[in-house]
Amino acid sequence: MQQKMTRRQVVKKIAAITAAGAGAGVLLPSQSLAFTKLIERIIQTEFETKYEVLPPLPRVSFGMAIDLGLCIGCRRCSYACKRENSVPDSISPPYIMLMEVDPITLRRGSSILDERGNGLKNRLMYTKLRKDKEYMPLQCNHCEAPPCAKVCPTTATYKDKDGIVMIDYDKCIGCRYCMVACPYNARRFNWTEPKVAAEDINPLVPLRYHGVVEKCTFCVHRTRRGRTTRCVEACPNKARVFGNLNNPESKISKLIENEKSFRLKEGLNTKPQIWYLTQTKKKPMRWYKPLPPPKHIRGLS
Amino acid sequence: MIGIRKGIADIKSHLLEVYKATGKGFCLFIIILLFPIAWGMIVWYHTIVEGHLGSGMSDVVPWGVFISALAYFVGASAGATIVGLLIYAFGRTDYKPIGAMAILFGLICIFGATQFVMMDVGVPWRALKVPWILHNPTSMFFISSTSYFGFMIILTAELYFSIKVIGTKPTGFDKKMAKWLGILAVPYALFVVHTFTGTIFGVIKAREMWNTPLIPVHFVLSALACGFAGVALVTVITAKLEKREILTAATYSHMGLVLAGFITATLFLDFTDYIVLLYSQTAEGVETWHIISERYTGLFILNILGLVVADVILMTKRGRTENGLLIATTLTMLAIGAYRITLVSIGQIIPLYPQLGEVHYVPSREEVIMGVGMLALMVLLYSVLAKALPIRKSV
Repeated sequence: MQQKMTRRQVVKKIAAITAAGAGAGVLLPSQSLAFTKLIERIIQTEFETKYEVLPPLPRVSFGMAIDLGLCIGCRRCSYACKRENSVPDSISPPYIMLMEVDPITLRRGSSILDERGNGLKNRLMYTKLRKDKEYMPLQCNHCEAPPCAKVCPTTATYKDKDGIVMIDYDKCIGCRYCMVACPYNARRFNWTEPKVAAEDINPLVPLRYHGVVEKCTFCVHRTRRGRTTRCVEACPNKARVFGNLNNPESKISKLIENEKSFRLKEGLNTKPQIWYLTQTKKKPMRWYKPLPPPKHIRGLS
Repeated sequence: MIGIRKGIADIKSHLLEVYKATGKGFCLFIIILLFPIAWGMIVWYHTIVEGHLGSGMSDVVPWGVFISALAYFVGASAGATIVGLLIYAFGRTDYKPIGAMAILFGLICIFGATQFVMMDVGVPWRALKVPWILHNPTSMFFISSTSYFGFMIILTAELYFSIKVIGTKPTGFDKKMAKWLGILAVPYALFVVHTFTGTIFGVIKAREMWNTPLIPVHFVLSALACGFAGVALVTVITAKLEKREILTAATYSHMGLVLAGFITATLFLDFTDYIVLLYSQTAEGVETWHIISERYTGLFILNILGLVVADVILMTKRGRTENGLLIATTLTMLAIGAYRITLVSIGQIIPLYPQLGEVHYVPSREEVIMGVGMLALMVLLYSVLAKALPIRKSV
């Protein structure tokens, strides 16, 4: 919701933008437009432009289970998430990364980590699906004790009552301390101005700008309206289950209780709210060609 | 009112005196410094407007040389306060000629450190609100950045009273304030400012190289070595440029001994750090050791060898002269710089998921230009203020 400004404030704002823009125009004509935008943004932060974020649902704690026995690594969840959340191409990898892993890693039961050079071959950029491999989606775990929220200097990252770890883009200063603290590599920084085609913009999702951090929000604009996340909908094999952990009758609660599962890097005591189910199942390999991997991941070769 | 007018007139006459005494060489030096500053500022402006796309940082290595520079200059600033402690708590009055210089050095270093953070963050104008409007008391970044403001205030006050003491008619109050601020600055610098800076890294469980309670201790010891070496280096350079004796040979020798002690302590922690990594049995520990010793060997060697050579120079009596100090302090500052980059930037290169791909980080042209610009600005500020402020009268 946009805050109303008084006439005096509007006049001040226009005067400041004009003066700054004119000054910048004299100094660097090609940059004057960008400079005006910058000044506009500086002024906007003073008013803390607000977008609509629904309040957390009462007596709910969201969580997710990902059945590795069913996931075929087709990357449909990743692509659907990108579109749903208006994630620009400049964000790479997208919120959901998929890793091809050796099944032995998963049978070890706790993590995909192993000692150096023991023959395991985890791959991010696979282009073919293999029946002898497991596929593991990696994303924000919405930890119960999120290190990212603890270290954020401005409380831009916070844990909401319904378990979702949120980011207030109007408070984020882009220091990237949260990215350094996250053990799951789940956060993305806008290294440049994000560009999303007008027809691809989801009006329910706030647009980010360069200099702020973003990540999976468990599709907060859907889940707080009683719907499920987009990745759950997009999964062709129903490998993902999303629900209320506080309800013992919910599907997710029953799965976690009855099936073998693990959470990522449990030793760190961050208590992730995503459980990986490891029971072997007959995997219907519906798609033998996965959607393409990210073309380029900054910092990785 | 009359007092203020008289004060302004005094300042005017002093500045005019300084201006008249300034040689052409100094003016040329300042003009040369303005070029990298201007270039750096243009690149910074582009970063603010368009983002950090040109930097070498990434989602896998989110902190680059700027945060390394933060750790480095906060350390240098904290270590510089030791001179005040030597003068006022240990009665080493032979250090008095460099007392105010050391405070100015510390002040410029802490200012530079905060500016490196401003160049690093995505939304710098919002970052200015951090200690005042936006705050999270559990964040080490918030705690340490708040402590920097406190440190700047202490150093400014200390500089003010030190200058007054150097002046013609210092009061008893001025002397008392200079003394107590000089003593207070040391525990504040080491146990608040730099300990919390070290804790920024120490609390991160996700990073193998950082998550140890020894990190703050390591930071404090290397800060002592770096800051004291910085002051010694500036003293020697000033003495050589102005062709005059600032400190006596005995004081240089004592300075060398004190620095050798700080370097030995830093080396001890560096060695134990690397030995623990060498014997590590965890995947991340083994990977960290391989990355440091195989991929970034240059920095590793500079870190260890630089400190060892500096220590050896300072251990000998011949090494504790003006020339010996020049070499040893330069090596110390470079070696500690290499350690900071190894810890901060290379500490993140260990992939959080093995075989994710080879993670790499090399500072980009943009980062180098901005960094050099900021260094030039710090040198310029120090040079101009050291000339304009009456801190040399004590020499």
